[in-house]
Amino acid sequence: MANGNPGVPVSFDKIQKSFGAVRVLEELNLDVKPGEFLVLLGASGSGKTTALRILSGLETATEGRVRIGDRDVTDTLPKYRDISMVFQSYALYPHKTVGENIGFPLKVRKIPVAEREIAVKEAAAQVQLDELLHRYPRELSGGQRQRVALARAIVRRPSVFLMDEPLSNLDAKLRGHMRAELKHMQEALGTTTIYVTHDQIEAMTLAHRVAILERGVLQQLATPSEIYNNPANLFVAQFIGSPPMNIIHGTLQGDVFASDAGKIKVPVKGKVEKALLGFRPEDCSIAAAGKGELAGQIFTNELIGDHTLVTVKTNKDMLAVKAPKEYRGKSGQTVGVALSKGGLYLFNAENGARVR
Amino acid sequence: MKDTSYKFEKSKRGLMERLFESPTVRSMSPAAKVVAYSMLAFWSVFVIFPLYWVVITAFKDADAVNKGPFYIPFVDFAPTLDAWRAQIAADPFCDGYAIVRQLYLLVYNSAAYVVSPVVHIAPLDPQICKIYLAFTNSIVIAVTSTFFCVTIGSMTAYALARIQYKPKFGNIVIFVLLCLVVILASSYVGTPWYVNAPVALALFFLLARSLGKHFKATLGNGDILFWMISQRILPPVVVIIPVYMMYQAVGLLDSHLALIVIYAVGNLPIVVWLMHDFFAGLPIELEESAQLDGSTRFGIFWEIVLPLTRPGLAATTLLTLILNWNEYLFAVFLTTSKALTMPIMLAAKNAGERGTLWWEMCAIIVVMIIPVIIMAILLQRFIARGVLLGAVKG
Repeated sequence: MANGNPGVPVSFDKIQKSFGAVRVLEELNLDVKPGEFLVLLGASGSGKTTALRILSGLETATEGRVRIGDRDVTDTLPKYRDISMVFQSYALYPHKTVGENIGFPLKVRKIPVAEREIAVKEAAAQVQLDELLHRYPRELSGGQRQRVALARAIVRRPSVFLMDEPLSNLDAKLRGHMRAELKHMQEALGTTTIYVTHDQIEAMTLAHRVAILERGVLQQLATPSEIYNNPANLFVAQFIGSPPMNIIHGTLQGDVFASDAGKIKVPVKGKVEKALLGFRPEDCSIAAAGKGELAGQIFTNELIGDHTLVTVKTNKDMLAVKAPKEYRGKSGQTVGVALSKGGLYLFNAENGARVR
Repeated sequence: MKDTSYKFEKSKRGLMERLFESPTVRSMSPAAKVVAYSMLAFWSVFVIFPLYWVVITAFKDADAVNKGPFYIPFVDFAPTLDAWRAQIAADPFCDGYAIVRQLYLLVYNSAAYVVSPVVHIAPLDPQICKIYLAFTNSIVIAVTSTFFCVTIGSMTAYALARIQYKPKFGNIVIFVLLCLVVILASSYVGTPWYVNAPVALALFFLLARSLGKHFKATLGNGDILFWMISQRILPPVVVIIPVYMMYQAVGLLDSHLALIVIYAVGNLPIVVWLMHDFFAGLPIELEESAQLDGSTRFGIFWEIVLPLTRPGLAATTLLTLILNWNEYLFAVFLTTSKALTMPIMLAAKNAGERGTLWWEMCAIIVVMIIPVIIMAILLQRFIARGVLLGAVKG
């Protein structure tokens, strides 16, 4: 298949959206590079779907401008924006066959039938649907319906793909498979793609860059590794990672973080009355009792497969520690937790800001 | 622990269990079968017997009706075609060409009516077979009015289901007041209505633009819907005299158009209410998807929404058609001879000089039932469920 549209940039410029008194988006500024796979990640109610719908034209922004390429599309009808969207529910037309579904965008553009059939076959082949063109959506499995929705989106080679949680109705195994196919397809077509999800694994694996939204505010826009290794604030640090980052409460004085569980030397300096120390489960290890920076009792052991997840209870907090898969501790056993120096993050408990 | 396990033995069932327990998961228990089938049989007789009675009565003569009851043709009574002859043979205009003449008359008079503002062509008198006239009138009036009613009504319902309207209450009051002013000016001041109406319309837009900003109270789609159905709350008889006088004023009495308009308007609220629920029940993603795919509003309605609501549309059409087909009140007030419909023909057999002519009535009823049955058979294949399966569920 020939390459799709060469990627075009997309930008949100000071986008605000309110539904009545409820502010869903507060001044969203976001520049998507040409050909980029950008994931909007957030919990439900974070405004990610609203942002996508504003870009698609199904919703209008209260304030601000939207640009696709060099066109200001803020007031453009959806059909003239040259975008295609995959819905969470797929939104296949139940009374049309797979072929008619895929060909519908071309039919409304009055493309001649012969040309349309070639394009439909090409798009269907791209998602391995060529055998099913005469079936109806009700005769397809969930994964096949998902492919039809994708084929319908790619058949007209739009400038931008929008995807609203397209994989969340699939079972776990199929989701992993479709994720890989989606990534491959986007790389092959080179079309700018904006993808909304609440699933951090999807975000981390698919995206060139991830934009994390919370309560209508953009928290961080960075590559997946940057988001993981260098979270901008407490929200991002806790949102990304499974199990989430461990947090202990304490105070920061100079370069020493003091808490009930122990005193820890940290790589930053400052004076914060209410500080939070964060570290990921893989950046710490179980040490013998009395060793390590922190102390506590084992609460549970969970063998995950490639590692054992040990939950350690300190005075106030529960800490998740990734231990080797051979590790077997007893519940209630007193242990120490050793931290690796490179994996410590400090946050101000007042506003969640990262202390650098 | 003993060696026995405690399970049900099918061979050890008691009488009640044998009677009331279904032998397999796919079948009914013997008692349930007896009850269900006897109720079904009773209900079938209940439904079918009146139809059967009408059909056999249509083939009875006066004696067979009055000295009855006779139930089985050829056994109890000798069937005759008297009732049918009374409709057809007794009428000098009822012959093989009656339908052709009737259609010609219809086309001729319609054309005459359409060009009447420009050239006056005298309409033909219906010198034709009465039952053909009534039958073709009924079909033309019922089908045309149903077509307009369902077309306009379903579009209205779709608009109300998908677009949020917020008419200002003050603007509506202004509109009603201006309507009154137009009526008063036309009837008392003497200025012609085609001057008053545009002036009032212009005035309305001017006022709505200028004063409308200051009005706060707005109505919503729910209010509009309620207003529509409220038009059906009062019985139609309360408007029959004003309607009669209006038609008299514009010279539409005893015409097809009169009945078509009043039927289409009168049943509009029913269509809007029924179709609104079907449209509101459609998943909105389908329409949003079509919108992004590039469809126009009308394209979405035609290509996505209508095919998916076809069962509802078919049921609504059938209901409206039957209402229009059976309508009597407006027909009896607004027609005299030319636009006569079947219900009027039927009622005329009730109070003749010779008493109630049951056999002739039944012959007319049989004729009236047939088109409805044909329509029901044609439409029932659309009234099937499961059309939406696979639309948005995973």
